[in-house]
Amino acid sequence: MDQNLVLIGYAVPLLLGLVLISPMSQSLVSSLVERQPRLAHERRRHMLGLNLVALTGFVVSVHTLWITNKISEGGNVCSSATVFSCDDVLGNAAYNTDPFFGISWGLIGMFAFGALLFITNSVSKEPDALWAESYLKYGKYMTGGGMLVIALLVSYEVQMGKICQFCTMAHIANVVCLAGFWKAGKMHDEGRWNDELTENSPFWKNKQED
Amino acid sequence: MKHNIEADVRTDTAIKIAALFFVSIMFLAFTTDPIASGTKVGERAPPLEGMAYNGSGWTSFDMSDYITNNWTSEDASAEWLLIEFMDTDCPFCVNSAEEMGQNANYFMKVGPQSENSWRGPVVNFIASATELDIQGHESSRDEIKAFRDRTSGEECAGTSCGDQGRMGPAHNFIYIDDLDQDNMQSWKVPGTPAYFLIQPDGIVAWTSADSQQEKVADGIFRIMNEQGLV
Repeated sequence: MDQNLVLIGYAVPLLLGLVLISPMSQSLVSSLVERQPRLAHERRRHMLGLNLVALTGFVVSVHTLWITNKISEGGNVCSSATVFSCDDVLGNAAYNTDPFFGISWGLIGMFAFGALLFITNSVSKEPDALWAESYLKYGKYMTGGGMLVIALLVSYEVQMGKICQFCTMAHIANVVCLAGFWKAGKMHDEGRWNDELTENSPFWKNKQED
Repeated sequence: MKHNIEADVRTDTAIKIAALFFVSIMFLAFTTDPIASGTKVGERAPPLEGMAYNGSGWTSFDMSDYITNNWTSEDASAEWLLIEFMDTDCPFCVNSAEEMGQNANYFMKVGPQSENSWRGPVVNFIASATELDIQGHESSRDEIKAFRDRTSGEECAGTSCGDQGRMGPAHNFIYIDDLDQDNMQSWKVPGTPAYFLIQPDGIVAWTSADSQQEKVADGIFRIMNEQGLV
């Protein structure tokens, strides 16, 4: 299978998640609200987007580990003479594991995005729980720490002169999650974490105007 | 009866995420058969690349050009690799240079072949010449050339690299410039000389570190016999 097609398959949910997290989600989903009233709530849209992005990051990490394993068997998965060649990056034994425990970066990604999925799922189901706000903070710290790991991995890619497209997709998922957790904290602080439609809700206002 | 609803949500979610993780691991286990990268027997050898001297000039070398990924042990026509990590100023490397040259000619099938010639697959010898961080071990490409070609003008381990220094004729195998120790570090070589026999598919078959009582030629004979290639 063409790996670029697979890559596009990952980009779609990632972009959808990004749109749901972004401020423009309100105008974009307005036509869907009649059929999916839940999307009227900013918090629900936001958490749906975060869940999508975290799940995409998890699946990309699984795929990255699969590619690493296949390369170790001697196979070629996404080898290319251009700068975009994940085989050259994931197949480089000097860089394809963490420097402390020798664990494959793909497996580390699975653990990280698995933990983020746990946070986003739990908070989605119980957004008003006492622990929800703390969990969102943990998510922010985790993805913030992930930025340091991304910086290390990008420095490896610069040294090799090659870019691993799948790894980059996982990095983007981490950055979007960081933005999502940061925005969730802001929504808490500004009192926009409300589950109910209120008079201040833009959709409520629009309905009144209609 | 009282229920802790908050705990239920998290437990339920944790079980679902754990199940997803488990399914992913099962998928990986059923669809892949990973081989660890490293320099122990059975592991996939790390990359080995750099500029190499072949007797006439310096050209780019990449070990992956020698690797046959779909090699099977029945295939006796595929070529093996014997990697030597050495330092032109290391006395042990200088002393073993003559024997290395003889081994290389024998296993690389250099020159006219006779009844006593090597009957197994070709084993290409490759030396990766480094510069150890020891006083008096300063090296250069000129010194590597002199060591390989056994010419005078450079000093190897305190004596001339030529006629009064290392014994034996000029080598017929290539020497990679690893003066920056890049290859040595990625192969985690603690000292020189160190030898690695690499299968045609890039898997390490024998190392001098794991078989310290065995000489290079004996190691090659044993491994080839075990694989039924001789």
